[in-house]
Amino acid sequence: MSKGIIAKKLLYALLTILVVLIFNYLLFRVLPGDPLAMMMRNPRATPEQIEAVKKLYGLDQAWYVQFFTYFKHLVEGNLGISFVYKAPVAKVVASKILPTVLMVGLAEIIAILIGILIGVVAAWKRGTKLDVWTLGFSLVTYSVPTFWLGMILVVLFCVQLRLFPTSGMLTPGKNFVSDWAKMVDLGRHLVLPVLTMSLVLIGEYALTMRNTLIDVLSEDYIITARAKGFRERYILLKHALPNAMLPMITIIAINIGFVVAGAIQVETIFSWPGLGRLMYEALGARDYPLLQGVFLLVTISVVLANVLADISYAYIDPRVKN
Amino acid sequence: MKKSSKKFIMVVVILMLTVALVGCGGGEQSTAEPPAEQATAKPGEEQSTAEPVGEQDPAELVSFTVGSSTAFDTLNPLTSYMQVTYEFFMLIYDSLVIYDENYEAVPNLATEWSQSDDNLTWTFKLQEGVKWHDGEPFTSADVKFTYDLMMDTGLGYMYSSYLTGITEVQTPDDLTVVIVTEEPKANILMNTTPILPEHIWAGIAAEELEIFPNEMPVGTGPFKFDSQGPNFVKVVKNPDYFGTKPFVDEYIFVDYENVDSMAQSLILGEIDGANNLNSAQMKQLEADPNVDVISGEELGFMQVGINCWTDEASGGDPLLLDKNIRQAIELGINKQRIVDIAYTGQGTVGTTMINPGNFYHYEPTAAELRDYDVEAAKALLEASGYTDTDGDGVRESADGTPLEFDLITIGDNLEEVKSGQLIASDLAEVGIKINNINMDSGALYDNIISGTYDMFIWGWGADLDPTVIMGVLTTDQIGGNNEPFFSNARYDELFLMQQTELDPQKRQEMVFEMQQIVYDEAPYIIMIYSNNIQAIRSDRWTGYQQIPETGTFFHNLTIYNYMNIKPVK
Repeated sequence: MSKGIIAKKLLYALLTILVVLIFNYLLFRVLPGDPLAMMMRNPRATPEQIEAVKKLYGLDQAWYVQFFTYFKHLVEGNLGISFVYKAPVAKVVASKILPTVLMVGLAEIIAILIGILIGVVAAWKRGTKLDVWTLGFSLVTYSVPTFWLGMILVVLFCVQLRLFPTSGMLTPGKNFVSDWAKMVDLGRHLVLPVLTMSLVLIGEYALTMRNTLIDVLSEDYIITARAKGFRERYILLKHALPNAMLPMITIIAINIGFVVAGAIQVETIFSWPGLGRLMYEALGARDYPLLQGVFLLVTISVVLANVLADISYAYIDPRVKN
Repeated sequence: MKKSSKKFIMVVVILMLTVALVGCGGGEQSTAEPPAEQATAKPGEEQSTAEPVGEQDPAELVSFTVGSSTAFDTLNPLTSYMQVTYEFFMLIYDSLVIYDENYEAVPNLATEWSQSDDNLTWTFKLQEGVKWHDGEPFTSADVKFTYDLMMDTGLGYMYSSYLTGITEVQTPDDLTVVIVTEEPKANILMNTTPILPEHIWAGIAAEELEIFPNEMPVGTGPFKFDSQGPNFVKVVKNPDYFGTKPFVDEYIFVDYENVDSMAQSLILGEIDGANNLNSAQMKQLEADPNVDVISGEELGFMQVGINCWTDEASGGDPLLLDKNIRQAIELGINKQRIVDIAYTGQGTVGTTMINPGNFYHYEPTAAELRDYDVEAAKALLEASGYTDTDGDGVRESADGTPLEFDLITIGDNLEEVKSGQLIASDLAEVGIKINNINMDSGALYDNIISGTYDMFIWGWGADLDPTVIMGVLTTDQIGGNNEPFFSNARYDELFLMQQTELDPQKRQEMVFEMQQIVYDEAPYIIMIYSNNIQAIRSDRWTGYQQIPETGTFFHNLTIYNYMNIKPVK
């Protein structure tokens, strides 16, 4: 792929981000609901206080003034002040990025690896008992409600077996003797959210992988390869899989892009301090600056992941390369 | 394929780095150098198996963990508005007076007080030898600074009503504060505003005050701030506290996004106490012999608000301006059934705006009382000229307009939604058609502020002092807290009078009359005084009680339980 094409793709990506930003800005504001409601629906607050708060957040100005101020600040790298947390948005969001990427990212990786493996095995052994069982497993985990699955795992692993803590990221208030002790504690807290999340995700990967691989395996060139006398394993790895991976790359790229968006349900069950929950709460409180901050992060991440997928296509698929 | 597997490896490496980063100290900010290892003295704690042996000393510290469904917003008392943070401020900061377990104001930073003959000047003598958590001495200048700061900037939303009416704060010497008020101030001894250290807050620019994170709160209170993590805040005992010292060495406040997990954590012993549980969990916890679970009365109520705005800009149904219809609605609602079904018995049927048990609560007389009575509701509507002329089961006014109203409930509040449905079925009996509408709270607030609604369900939390909750329905709150756009000249007059009446008996009469007016006019139908379900591990802890008698363990305007809880020997 030439440099020119890459530059063009990046330019499109930037444009996309800009359009999404404007769209988000306007979308949040046409939502009914006053951001001051959650802050100031307080019998103790006086009208003067409400006015002062409005002024602090610039809510007393005309909509177009607010709009241009937002973009001016954005260019300066200032994401604004969260209505709820009374702290810079960048700081509030930054504190949740690591926990989110850690939990959702790990779950994605596990789900992708296991999902692809299951999909390949199922397609390869199509029609056998193994296929039926793995297909059944994928369908069940794909369709099971996340919330229910999480609670079942809590009952099983926390209440019955007492293996893992029920919630949080670290044992609250504990002073750790060493970084290693902290890591162990983090690991124990990570197991159930990651397990829940990856179980839910495995199905999607496994089913997609199985379907595309089955399609590929029925292509003429596979028959040709067999006719040439190649070994089955060689045909699978060298002829079938590279083609079957193309749609997978797209799905993986999109999902990796959404990693920073967190996972509201899993974060809620396990009180995991992630971005999904933050986004949900910011929406409920009409915390515009915080919402915009989180959406900006998600937008950039999704768009970039797609650009990367496009570029990596060029290396995987010779048709795109030329 | 090869290339993409390289990408996977990259991602894995990045994630492992991330793990390392988190492990090396992200997320948690500790103020003090942690002493070698602080142990959590929790009997039956299985955690220790995962820890290296020999590094904990379980006999050392008594640690109590409280779970709550709400998170801390900010540690800045000038801008916070969450109940859980309010609770935290009570432990960190002191005020001139605090409430004891009987809700009587007792000395705290002020040891004694006196008033001038005209009741306009109050002199408070301060406790000697009080030190801030950072070692600086506490003086009267801190009190003056705090009050002036809140009054000048309008900040401190949770406390400003305690300060209204104060014109001047004087400091004749380091241990004396003189408060001058414009008119006699009825709630002057209910002023529990936290006193902030001048030597820290004076250095903050006026425009920075609202966003000052106060990451290391310094107070004079019985507990010192220790650390804040991703979903907890920890306080430790202040060894230099001037008053009686608590039994517990550290409190850890943990927020749970999911109350089911919180109940499980309590059963498993991960936490020692829990707030804001629901009735399903209450049943489960009642079966656990190690847990003491209560459904305690809280201050406040849930109400059906009715649009009484007489202006033509009102978007409400004009029929609701007829007091008889509003009264008939109250008569037609089976509040007991709402308490039993929607709130599964966790609460009591409501009547007036101040909770029963409070000195200022007015109980309607038998003649005034509008208990559930379908026949009386029908009779009142009939007598007021609303009859069902077309036989569709819905009454019409003289000009043929049907009695059909929208009732808005907050969609993610299951109890309110159920209440709305019960009300709709109750009122169908008396010939009023209710359309249930669900919205989120932001959208409902919009409708209320603009006056474009017929009826809604929402609630208010209240204070011990009647001023705050009664202030909601004054005429000058229209466009603000006065949700039903209620306006009554006598009510407004009484509101001002009671603020300056120092004789509790006379003040009580005024507040009674105000409640009578609201009950008669029915802009608010007080549906239920709801409860908060809370629990404590009784196998580990003792010394706590419900405050007041039928109230709650926590979230009750006192720190009595925090000071008196002690481990079971």
